[in-house]
Amino acid sequence: MNGEMSQAELGQRIGLTRQTIAAIEAGKYSPSLEAAFRIAQVFNVPLGEVFQWEVKATPLKAS
Amino acid sequence: MSYREKIAWLSLIAMAVAYGPYFMFVGRGPGPWEPLPHLHPLGLFALVSIVRMLVLGAGYLYLRLGSPRQERQPLDERDRAIEHRSLSAAYYVLIGGMILVGCFMPFSSTGWTIVNAAIFWIVAAEVIHYSVVVASYRVQASS
Repeated sequence: MNGEMSQAELGQRIGLTRQTIAAIEAGKYSPSLEAAFRIAQVFNVPLGEVFQWEVKATPLKAS
Repeated sequence: MSYREKIAWLSLIAMAVAYGPYFMFVGRGPGPWEPLPHLHPLGLFALVSIVRMLVLGAGYLYLRLGSPRQERQPLDERDRAIEHRSLSAAYYVLIGGMILVGCFMPFSSTGWTIVNAAIFWIVAAEVIHYSVVVASYRVQASS
């Protein structure tokens, strides 16, 4: 996430384990909103700069 | 591998070591079993439980001494989510097994067969619990 901070250090600052930070980085775990905001706060950037969400287009079914 | 995943593996191994031979032994049939209220089979179960506790105790000690302190952190939100998922799965196994044992088996079985079936479903629920924990950590492992 940031070359100047280790996963363990980031985890320690926001109350998550190093493995959880690694899983978030790898896109294998979606953090809670609170954790996402905390991560953004640590890096002092807006939430959207750290996390993106890809909208998958699903066709609407006619009712 | 995270500390909690190691603990889950340890719990699975302890159950396999203790209850595997137990169910193989009692699964052979009535054999020397005596009907309730004789308590001889209870001695075997007590022995198996002691073996499980010894394996768990030795394993905990080994993992605790072998893992750095920062690995043994309190549960975070991902750990709690995994725990919740695994306990939910185990609950359904346990409730299904107990319905089978409590509502249907009394019509077809007696004595220690029912007791061992109840023990089996408790152990099965525990196995499901720890298996889901291990599988969840494996799936979410980054490398």
